[in-house]
Amino acid sequence: MSLRLRSLPRFQERGIIVVILVLGLLLTVFGGKVRLPLFERGPDGGRHRVFEAGPGGGRVPAFVVENKFLNAHNLAQLAKDTSFIAIMAVGASIVIISGGIDLSAGSLYALASVVGALVLRRYGPGGPGGATPAWEGVLLGACACMAVAGACGALNGALVVALRVHPFVITLGTMAILRGVAFVITAGQSVDGFPRALSALVRYQFGDGLTLFPLAVMVLVTAAGWIFLARLSPGRRVYAVGGNEQAARFSGIRIGRTKLLVYSLAGLSGGVAAFLSIGYYGAATSGDGQGYELSVIAAAVVGGASLTGGRGSALGAVLGALVIQMISSGIVILGIDQNYSQIIIGSVVIAAVVFDQCNAWLAKKRSIP
Amino acid sequence: MKPLLASLILALLTVSCPGADDALRQITLGVVAKSQGNPVFQAARVGAEDAARDLGAKYHVSIRIDWRTPNEEDAQKQSEALEQLVLSGADGIAVSCSDANTLTAAINSAVDNGVPVATFDSDAPASKRFVTYGIDDYRCGEQVMEELARQLDGKGIIAVLAGNQNAPNLQRRMQGVVETARKYPGITVRGVYYHRETPQDAAARVEQVMEANPDINGWAMIGGWALFTENALQWRPGTVKCASVDALPAQLAYVRNGQVPVLLGQQCYQWGYQCVSLLVDKILLKKDPSAVRQVSALIPVTIDNVDAYAKNWDTWLHK
Repeated sequence: MSLRLRSLPRFQERGIIVVILVLGLLLTVFGGKVRLPLFERGPDGGRHRVFEAGPGGGRVPAFVVENKFLNAHNLAQLAKDTSFIAIMAVGASIVIISGGIDLSAGSLYALASVVGALVLRRYGPGGPGGATPAWEGVLLGACACMAVAGACGALNGALVVALRVHPFVITLGTMAILRGVAFVITAGQSVDGFPRALSALVRYQFGDGLTLFPLAVMVLVTAAGWIFLARLSPGRRVYAVGGNEQAARFSGIRIGRTKLLVYSLAGLSGGVAAFLSIGYYGAATSGDGQGYELSVIAAAVVGGASLTGGRGSALGAVLGALVIQMISSGIVILGIDQNYSQIIIGSVVIAAVVFDQCNAWLAKKRSIP
Repeated sequence: MKPLLASLILALLTVSCPGADDALRQITLGVVAKSQGNPVFQAARVGAEDAARDLGAKYHVSIRIDWRTPNEEDAQKQSEALEQLVLSGADGIAVSCSDANTLTAAINSAVDNGVPVATFDSDAPASKRFVTYGIDDYRCGEQVMEELARQLDGKGIIAVLAGNQNAPNLQRRMQGVVETARKYPGITVRGVYYHRETPQDAAARVEQVMEANPDINGWAMIGGWALFTENALQWRPGTVKCASVDALPAQLAYVRNGQVPVLLGQQCYQWGYQCVSLLVDKILLKKDPSAVRQVSALIPVTIDNVDAYAKNWDTWLHK
């Protein structure tokens, strides 16, 4: 049983990796070329435009021609755009593996964002704590995001366990409540004015102006999710509960405790994404993250998680988010009319899942002697 | 078979031979509106495409409009769209900001990468955009309230239909309505009602509010969402007064049947047209606008001019 559980997700990830490679190849071949402005590092460490001699003797900005998809800037952008949803999808996939669902992910993200933003604003240039060391404000903002998100996740879990109501209903309710709380505490206003150290950290540019911090956080969260699900016993219990709750109960697994943990972790992943996003965008509103619940569930499912529970992985969820983002970015790269984008995204997601299922089925068939 | 083959080869040669069009300089302008579902932005899109065609012919360039608008209002998605447009080689961008603070960094980054940015409808004042085009939102709120107060003879209980609570332009309009209402001692504002910016959600909110507050006899609509549906208003003409922003084709029926005596039309077609013109001036002619803030007026639409105004839409939504 445990061998089967361990090996199945691996096959699914292989399928989704093939889908990603095919998409990448198509975008590289058909994306065409783009002229990007050329920058160089100045003596002050800042990036400056490079100029060259123009036809009339004047100086004109220099450009470099690159492949539209396969260039470092676009790949870093793709990773950044994927990261917020992917981080939440890791949490969502843990919930889905346990046989549950979390519809409050987008609202939880919004609430954690605005609470974190309100704390950060206190320590920003115009806030009462502006004289406090910047790292202290950033740390407190991060703690506020995590604490709120973790508590909201735990609330979801506690309500699911205590009321014995399907998580769909509970999280549908908390989806509205959390969004409402976010609106009430901000009065619908955008919150900004954070310590500059936060955006300097999250938007830190490596090498030729590449913002890789969101990618690094996504990798860390994926690794943590993988360790939890594949290497730790509480993670194995999540598969057991999702695979067959009754059998898990008879095996001595504390179902309630496992569910509480699962929803708390999903909440925490929302907190990480929220903190990252307010650092990147420099503001938060109660309207943030609308519809993200469906995006994270879609990412987890495309990545191989079964909505009936017992199957899925952290890496699969991240790869699922990457597939969806590649399609979305691909529409821009290929210059496809946006009126068709929803149809394309939906079709490719279904095609990716069908391909993935076929791959898993073939692999399973081959493994049977 | 042979003629068919010959035609195919001829067609391929025609396509592959460099013609006069290939010599044209190509300019790509990204346009990022707030949401796909809002018809005002579809008019802006037509305006942008018309300007691209007109100015392309005038300056002998090929101007392509790359429309990248989120399905629903989402400032973070808009920010992503801006970054993607810069990376895909856009020469200029026009954006209507769902949240100014969230978009400021992306606008600044685009400008730092040599891509000029114009805002329309909803501005990001702290950003490096070179121009903003749209109405004065506070004044718009004032105008809506003044029109409503005139219909009510300065006495009544009113409600404000306010759309998305996070949109800064709507917040300013709402502020304009509420503060102007204070000038009329006989008028009480029962409430400001927010909703998702879809016609159905807006119409449902009007219905709910009227059910719960049958004594309301005036509506100040700072956006026309509810009137994009056919049967949004359940009252008989004249029993409840109403003044609304926007004058889209679907809304004009309410003027004709007397339920909404006045609409204040935003020049949403011009959002697209003017922004593209300003961007082309900046990119091709290296010409900056006379002022960073380009204010467009609201056009009152009443029973007297509704038919004449309706004819504009044949041009503005001709696609």
